[in-house]
Amino acid sequence: MSTVKHIFHILVLSSAAWLAPSLYAQQQPPQLFSGMEGYTFLPGGTPVPIWGYGWVADGFITLPAPLLTYTQGESVQLNFTNPSPESHTIHLHGLDVDQANDGVPGTSFSVTTGDDATYSFDADYPGTFLYHCHVTTTLHLTMGMYGMVLVTRPDFTLYEGGPTYAEDVPLLFSDLEVATNLDPVGSYPFHDIRPDVFMINGESGSQLEAPGRIVHFEPGQPLALRLGSMAYSRVVCQFPPELNATCYMSDGRPLPTLFEPNALEIYPGERFTVLIDPEPGWDGSLPCEFWSMVDETLESTENIHIRDAALTIEEPQFIGVKGYPNPTREHITWDDARQIEVWNAYGKPVADLRFEQGVLDVSGWPIGTYVARIDGRRSVRFVVIE
Amino acid sequence: MTFGQDSLYILRGTWNQLPEAPEVLRLNASADWSEQNHVFEREADIASNLVIVNEDTTSHVWALLMGEIEGITIEPGDTAVVDLPALPMGTYRLGLIDGEGSGLGAQSMLQVGLQSGGDPALFHWNLCDWEAQQMTSWSSGSEPDPNAAYVPNYFSINEQTYPTTLEDPNALISVALGDTCWIAVANHGQMDHVLHFHGFHVEVLTSNLQPTRIGWSKDTVPIKKGEGMTLQLVANQAGIYPVHDHNLIAVTNAGFYPGGMLTQIIVDP
Repeated sequence: MSTVKHIFHILVLSSAAWLAPSLYAQQQPPQLFSGMEGYTFLPGGTPVPIWGYGWVADGFITLPAPLLTYTQGESVQLNFTNPSPESHTIHLHGLDVDQANDGVPGTSFSVTTGDDATYSFDADYPGTFLYHCHVTTTLHLTMGMYGMVLVTRPDFTLYEGGPTYAEDVPLLFSDLEVATNLDPVGSYPFHDIRPDVFMINGESGSQLEAPGRIVHFEPGQPLALRLGSMAYSRVVCQFPPELNATCYMSDGRPLPTLFEPNALEIYPGERFTVLIDPEPGWDGSLPCEFWSMVDETLESTENIHIRDAALTIEEPQFIGVKGYPNPTREHITWDDARQIEVWNAYGKPVADLRFEQGVLDVSGWPIGTYVARIDGRRSVRFVVIE
Repeated sequence: MTFGQDSLYILRGTWNQLPEAPEVLRLNASADWSEQNHVFEREADIASNLVIVNEDTTSHVWALLMGEIEGITIEPGDTAVVDLPALPMGTYRLGLIDGEGSGLGAQSMLQVGLQSGGDPALFHWNLCDWEAQQMTSWSSGSEPDPNAAYVPNYFSINEQTYPTTLEDPNALISVALGDTCWIAVANHGQMDHVLHFHGFHVEVLTSNLQPTRIGWSKDTVPIKKGEGMTLQLVANQAGIYPVHDHNLIAVTNAGFYPGGMLTQIIVDP
């Protein structure tokens, strides 16, 4: 295990349905679509119908929707098509977009069946954000039409003058009521919605114990937990002291005073960015409680499993997580890497890669964020600068 | 700004927003019925007083709901003069704390050091959740079953439910591009609420239950049950932007969407 360094597993987001189209996992087309014929699976294997978003080329929707990542300062054009039988939108929650791109029927626009749309905005602020449908929002969210947006910086700092970190770990809390998802047409009255499935990245219970869901860390290499909630519940994350957690940001803005979270409350729609640098050898869990907003009963506790990478018995997935230099202008190197695939921030594969002996030539590439998959296993983000 | 005595009338009347509740209680500025509770103002750090007239047919217990003043029982037809302590700038809840009084909605806010009609412009949002069945019990003179599950089905800002929130000049934020405004928010309901601002981040200026969040810039702001909070909004882009509870059962009226705790910010270019 002495060679096991820089081993981080980006927490694979949710179930296989999420995993496949995740930005870090495979080729993505640049266009999202909305669908109303998908399924998620409960820990026992029971399928539950969902509505949601997916990448057009994948052809299926996921719970939660694909992670969208942008670089601070990027002018974003988010393409969207709606082949589903009802109107949908994309509300870019917390990105303070203008009225035209706000994704609210009545004040901006709906995307009707068969229509395409492009949402335009500038990713001015780094941080953790969300997106979701804003048509009949109470229903469309509980059906699953939501995802996370990350706006990051090329130098792996949380914000200008902020701390550096090694890797992002997106963690999206949500819940659903099975009866509503089974019969959305009969779901009125909406105030009766009472979730009975409580999820982290679309999974719960034993699903979160699978090896691919465990968050691995290397001591001294902080992980940025990107915590966001689309739940109907109030989520309380109970941070064990061994995680050495510090909260730096909320809702895409730096906090005026940092704090070390003990019980971090996350209300519906809120986001927090927490850096953790766990004690060497730590292998434990971060319990996340889901409390009813109506009667303050504890509905469920779901656990994020976190483990020192040195303890893993899995084959190291990649040596040299970030590559170096990163950000880069001309070359980026991953020691011992044999094969590489690269996608740009819109999910388009980069063709004709110049890659030899672990060195990727990026000279002449457009500036921006890219995702590389190394040796078919490990996916990492790197940034090309001027 | 009013420093000293002004009057608050406990009145019983009808409320069009909730058809199931034949009668509700309100705190009004005069003996004339209004379905909206009156919001009071005081200067910061100066003690003052307030006259309370109980025009209702039952006794009620009034309190400044911050734990510093004990409840004062006022019999039907009686008048009480209550002392208000010197308070720092902020938003404070006040109202009736007896079951019927709070259950029927006689709750409002005291704005301290926040001057309406001034600069920055000041708006206020009295938030509340309501269960029609519970309201029906109270308004018919019987106490609701304390063991029954609470299932709120109406949600209001300034005793208005969307879309009539847009007709209330305090619930609807209407400002010019570049303006700064303050919003005094009080949660009188039986559950926490969480306001999401489209288009803007707001800064938390004051809070009695979450003081560690003062100074935070947020687009999604939890307002805990019993909390008074003051927010600052800088209208840095023109347009029409919703503000709503992101606990999405609360953007409904009797179960139907859209409704409830939903309003707008209108920024004129």
